[in-house]
Amino acid sequence: MEDNIKIKVKNFSFYYAKSDKPALKNINMPVYEKKVTALIGPSGCGKTTLLRSFNRMHDLYYGNRYEGEIIMDGKNILSDDIDLIELRSKVGMVFQKPTPFPMSIFDNVAYGLKLRGIKNKSELEARVEKALKQAALWDEVKDRLKDSASGLSGGQQQRLVIARALAVEPEVLLFDEPTSALDPISTGKIEELVVGLKETVTIIIVTHNMQQAARVSDYTAFMYLGELIEFDKTDIIFTSPKKKLTEDYVSGRFG
Amino acid sequence: MDLKTKRKIKGNIALLLSTFAAFMGLFWLVFIIFDVLRHGITALNLELFLEDPAPPGVPGGGLRNAFVGQFLITSVATIIGVPLGILGGTFIAEYARGTVFAKVISILSDIMVSVPSIVVGTFIYALLVKPFGHFSGWAGAAALAFIMVPVVLRTTEDMLKLVPWTLREAAFALGASYFRVIKDVVYRAAATGILTGVILAIARIAGETAPLLFTSFNNSYFTTNMNEPIASLTVTIFNYAMGPYEDWHEKAWAAAFIITVVILIVTVTSRMIIHWRYKS
Repeated sequence: MEDNIKIKVKNFSFYYAKSDKPALKNINMPVYEKKVTALIGPSGCGKTTLLRSFNRMHDLYYGNRYEGEIIMDGKNILSDDIDLIELRSKVGMVFQKPTPFPMSIFDNVAYGLKLRGIKNKSELEARVEKALKQAALWDEVKDRLKDSASGLSGGQQQRLVIARALAVEPEVLLFDEPTSALDPISTGKIEELVVGLKETVTIIIVTHNMQQAARVSDYTAFMYLGELIEFDKTDIIFTSPKKKLTEDYVSGRFG
Repeated sequence: MDLKTKRKIKGNIALLLSTFAAFMGLFWLVFIIFDVLRHGITALNLELFLEDPAPPGVPGGGLRNAFVGQFLITSVATIIGVPLGILGGTFIAEYARGTVFAKVISILSDIMVSVPSIVVGTFIYALLVKPFGHFSGWAGAAALAFIMVPVVLRTTEDMLKLVPWTLREAAFALGASYFRVIKDVVYRAAATGILTGVILAIARIAGETAPLLFTSFNNSYFTTNMNEPIASLTVTIFNYAMGPYEDWHEKAWAAAFIITVVILIVTVTSRMIIHWRYKS
């Protein structure tokens, strides 16, 4: 069965403010629906820059410039008439370091729902529970939902943040090196979670860890110096890549 | 003498000098506080709070007018100064962050913090006393608010800048507007710091005398009318301490005692809030 394309990146270039040199050069790649796509490459290759373009995080800083198109469900999300609040409610994001808000566990997960105007208490409770279960955190926190989220361990905080992103039922979830600050056991849990989540959401994950990319992703994009070198199914990238550069990187010869 | 002994002697001299300096500073501080407490406590009595001043030379009477006046002036100054300071700090740390304009306001605030408070008093005198032809409580409150704004503004700015950007990005990524990000996430993360800054700013203005001399002046009678000259503890201490009567001196000690204790409690409370916050 052919996979459906959720997002299509077309001739996409990106310039940071006060820089004439593009950080991303003419990227073309698909993102398949309900699959995990990994972005790999050495530091500074632009993988995080690309990831942050999918929810237009770069708009928070003056002077950043996009060129080309990123088409999601037939609409160019880079166009000026896109409502960023609506875009970001469809495209969630999980950061490198856990970012729990200074409020209770419950309020953290409910925050996105409250932003969308959901005030009904029983609906909030149901959706918070569902999200925490999806993020495999429910059993650990169900008796202390009113406690401050800062009391959780790093791995729990990261799953809390995933639950917070899931609560608003996004279509796409972006992960920016979600396990680089975590221990191996927490990392394992997050990876399991990512694999399980693709039944409902499209996932794009940036990772430094090639084994992780191989374990969790269906498709892999290898980037180098702001360019997309190769995009293919993950097993092809890791076993029989077409480009020499890709082969050198995945076999650990540089990067 | 070998090198090792030389170094040891040098080290001991440095230790001796710095210890001496620390004790010198501490000695006078403790001396002042102890002296205020010693003189103040003996002069304390209930009439002090319940009665207004008696005519000069007549024994008895209290400082009710000054307590109430001080409370009114400080409260109004806080109500004006705190929101202005917090919103101004929010503007330069968030909406205008990184712009030249924000830098200029920040530097100007630093200068304003160190402007002698008597200059602020004369400035408000020219602005709110001279044109109206009389001293007033409003002018006093305005002078204190004027001193308060840059203090609160800079503290707010510093505290907001301590909140990591990733926290804001996480809120934006959930589809929050900038206002919601600030209100729900940034303020919450910086709340303790801002609160501490506000409390310290209140303690600072509660001890000011110079700006009130030219603005709210003084009043021997009880009033709550902010349109009139109004008494304050600090100006009363100044007048009574300079006065010729023994019981004026006693009342000045009592007032100094009260204001010292209040500021001490307020300051210690805010320190405890910080301590408690960083422990948990």
